[in-house]
Amino acid sequence: METLDKTKWDVVIVGTGLQQSLLALALSRSGKKILHIDENKYYGGAEAALALQEAEEWAQHVDTGSATFSNAAVTTPELSQSGSGQSLASARAYSIEFSPQLLYARSSLLQYLVSSKVYRQLEFLAVGSFWVYSKDTSDAGDASSPSTAEQSSRLGQLLKVPSGREDVFQDQVLDFKAKRALMKFLRFIAEYEEHTEEWEEHKENPFSVFLTEKFRVPAALQAPLLALTLSPSGTAETSTTYALPRVARHLRSIGVFGPGFGAVQAKWGGMSEVVQVACRSCAVGGGVYVLGKGLSNPGVSASEDSDMVTLRLKDGETISTKWVVEEGNEVSSGPSQLCRSITVVSSPLAQLLPPLAEEAPSPASAVVVFPSGSLPLRPEDAKEHGAELPPVHILVFSSDTGECPAGQSILYASTSLPGDRGFQLLSMAVDALLSSVKESPSPAALWSLRYEHGSDSSDDTVSQPPNHVLRFARPSLDLAFDDSALDRVKDVWQRIVGAGTDEFLVFEDREPVGDEDE
Amino acid sequence: MADSGAAAPKPSSSVKLVLLGEAAVGKSSLVMRFVNNDFQENKEPTIGAAFLTQKCNLPTRTIKFEIWDTAGQERFASLAPMYYRNAQAALVVYDITKPSSLTKAQHWVAELHRQASPGIVIALVGNKADLAAEAAAGDELGDDATEDTDAAPGAEGEEDADADNADQRRVATKTAKAYAEEEGLLFFETSAKTGKNVAEVFTAIANAIPEASLKGPRGAAGGQSSLGRQEDARVNLGSVRPEGAKEGCAC
Repeated sequence: METLDKTKWDVVIVGTGLQQSLLALALSRSGKKILHIDENKYYGGAEAALALQEAEEWAQHVDTGSATFSNAAVTTPELSQSGSGQSLASARAYSIEFSPQLLYARSSLLQYLVSSKVYRQLEFLAVGSFWVYSKDTSDAGDASSPSTAEQSSRLGQLLKVPSGREDVFQDQVLDFKAKRALMKFLRFIAEYEEHTEEWEEHKENPFSVFLTEKFRVPAALQAPLLALTLSPSGTAETSTTYALPRVARHLRSIGVFGPGFGAVQAKWGGMSEVVQVACRSCAVGGGVYVLGKGLSNPGVSASEDSDMVTLRLKDGETISTKWVVEEGNEVSSGPSQLCRSITVVSSPLAQLLPPLAEEAPSPASAVVVFPSGSLPLRPEDAKEHGAELPPVHILVFSSDTGECPAGQSILYASTSLPGDRGFQLLSMAVDALLSSVKESPSPAALWSLRYEHGSDSSDDTVSQPPNHVLRFARPSLDLAFDDSALDRVKDVWQRIVGAGTDEFLVFEDREPVGDEDE
Repeated sequence: MADSGAAAPKPSSSVKLVLLGEAAVGKSSLVMRFVNNDFQENKEPTIGAAFLTQKCNLPTRTIKFEIWDTAGQERFASLAPMYYRNAQAALVVYDITKPSSLTKAQHWVAELHRQASPGIVIALVGNKADLAAEAAAGDELGDDATEDTDAAPGAEGEEDADADNADQRRVATKTAKAYAEEEGLLFFETSAKTGKNVAEVFTAIANAIPEASLKGPRGAAGGQSSLGRQEDARVNLGSVRPEGAKEGCAC
C-alpha cells in the first residue's frame, strides 16, 4: 500500500465523528488538500453504528482506547429458558448506534444536508409517538373499562403524548379544566419569545413550578410536557428557560415534512449514515481517507516551516500540514455523562408505533419517557437522597430503521444517573416497557450492551499553540441533535478557508439529477 | 433496458448497488455510461460521482438503482463495511487487460460474502473489452472467439509473445466465467467506452433481485433482514413546506 510518510497537506482531520465529517463535507469543494484519518477501522467515532459482532469487539476494547466511553459490557441472556423461539439473526442484520439522536425538522443540520445536496443519498424516516410511563395508571386502567379511544392512547402503564390540538380535544382521559389549562399553555408557547413578561420571573424556576403557578396545568399533564423537553435532568433541575425553547421546538417541528411528526432519523444507522455520505463527498472532492490510522501521543509538534505543523502517526510515519482538527478537548470526560443501554428485543413492539396521521409516513421509532421519580430504584432511595432520580429515555427503533431484522426492535435507553445505579435504573425501565406491551409470547431481550458515555464540560473549540491546531469539543449528549455542533464546524471551517458565512455547505449538485422522487 | 423515460404505473423499488474493484478498472466510467450514456477518455481518478441514480424498466416493475461509487476510498483500503452493508446488489469490476485486477475482484467477492447482506446479487464485470482483439470484441460473450487465449496455458499474467496492440487481453473470458459460475455471480464483459453490454449488466441485476426482497420489512416474514425500501416510510426532505409548520403545529 502507499505510504503517507513525508506527505504535505493543507488540512488533516483526525477522527470521523459527526463534527469532523461535516467539516470534511464543508471543505470538500475548497480545493484544499485534505487528509482524513481515523484510528478505528470504521467511520463515525462516537456516532458510529456497528454490526453486532463489531459492537461486541468495540465493547471489549473501548474502555482502554477512549475517553468518551467507559464501563462497556455485553449481556446475552439465556434464551433456552424463555422458549420464545425468537433468536438473534446474523450479526450483520444489525446496526447498533452508539449515540442515537432525533433530528428535529427545524434543525440546521437538515437545511445544510439539503443545501449541500447530500440529502439525496440519505433516507429519512419519521420519529413516531412519545409515550410517558406512569406508575399510577395500571390500576385505574383496569378499574374503568377503557373505551377504544382510550385504549389507543394507553398501553399498560404507558400514556401516549397528544401530538397536537386535535389529539388533546379527543383525549378522553383529560377533564375539561385540564384541557383548558393545556390549551392556554399551548397558545402561550407558540409565541413565548414575544411574551417574556409571562416567564421572565420563572426563568430559573423548575418548569413544573412555572406550569403550575402560571397555567395551573395539573401534575398529570406536566409529565408529558416535560417529556417533550427530553431533559436528562430531574424535574426539579429542569428550568423554565431550558424547557420552553425545547417544547416549542417540538411543537413547531410537527408538520414541517408531513403531518403528525416533527423529528426524523436517517435509515440504516442514524448519524453514522450522515457521516458516511459526508466523508464520501469529501473523497469525491479529492480528500484522502485512511482508516486504522491515528496520531501518536503527543503527535503534534512545530515544524521548521512556521506555517506548518508536523504530525507523527502511530505507525511512525511523519506528515506535515497547515491545519489539524481533532475532537475532545479534555483528557477524560467532563461531568456531563450518560449511562446508556442498548437492547435487542424479540418483538416489533408495533403497539408503540401506531400510525401518526392520515397521509403520514409510517413511524420508524417511538420515544418512551420514564419521568423523574417514576421508577424508584429502592424504596429507601427517595428518603436517602431527598431528590428524585433523573428520568430515563428509551428510543424504540423498529426494523424499518434498518438497524435490526423484521420481527425485532432495538431499545436505546439512557439516563444521567451515573454508575451501577444508572444501569440498574435503565434495566428497570426496559423491563417496565416490555411488560407494558401485552404480547404473547412476551417480548424478551435477546442481546444487550451497556456503557457510560461522556462529553466535554465546555463546548468551545480549543485552539492550541501552534495556532493551527484546533480541537472540537465532544458533541453534546442531547437526545435531539444539538445544532451547536454545526456552529462549531462553521467556525472551524471559516478559520481555515476565511470565506463568508453564507457559502457554508452550499453546493451545486455534482452529478446530473434525474427525475427525482416519483 | 435502462430508460429514464416516463413509465407506466408499475411497482417501483429502490435498490442500493455498490461498485467495487481495483482503482482504474473503469468503475465510474461504467456508471457514467449507464446513467448518462457518456464516456470520458483519460478520466481522472476519484473524480466523478459518489452517488447516482438511474431507473431500469422491467416488464413488470421499475427498479431505481441508487449507485454508490467508491469515491476513491479504496485507495488506502478505507472503504468500511458500512459502505456495502445494506446493499442489495454489487458490481465487482476488473480490467480484462490486468490479471491482478481479477485477483482484487475475487478478494472483493469474498469480502461481500463475509460482510454484506446474505441475499446480495453480485455481478462480476470484466471491463475494457474494447481493448481485446477485434475478433473477440465483436462476438457474443467469449464463447468461441476467445478460444485461442483460453487455450494458452497460464494465459493470465503471462507475457503474450504475439501480443500486438490490437489485443491487450490478459484475462481469458473462460477463466473469469468459470470463477463466476463457481461463486454464483452474474458475469459480463463490458466496454464503458463503446457501451457494449453496459445496460445488459444492469438489466440482468434488476432481473436477479428477488421480488420478495423488495417488499417492505414489515411485510416480510420475521427472522431474516429484509432490505426492501419501504417507500411509504420515507420522508422527503425536498418537500419541506416553509410555511407548513405554522399550520401543522399544535399551537
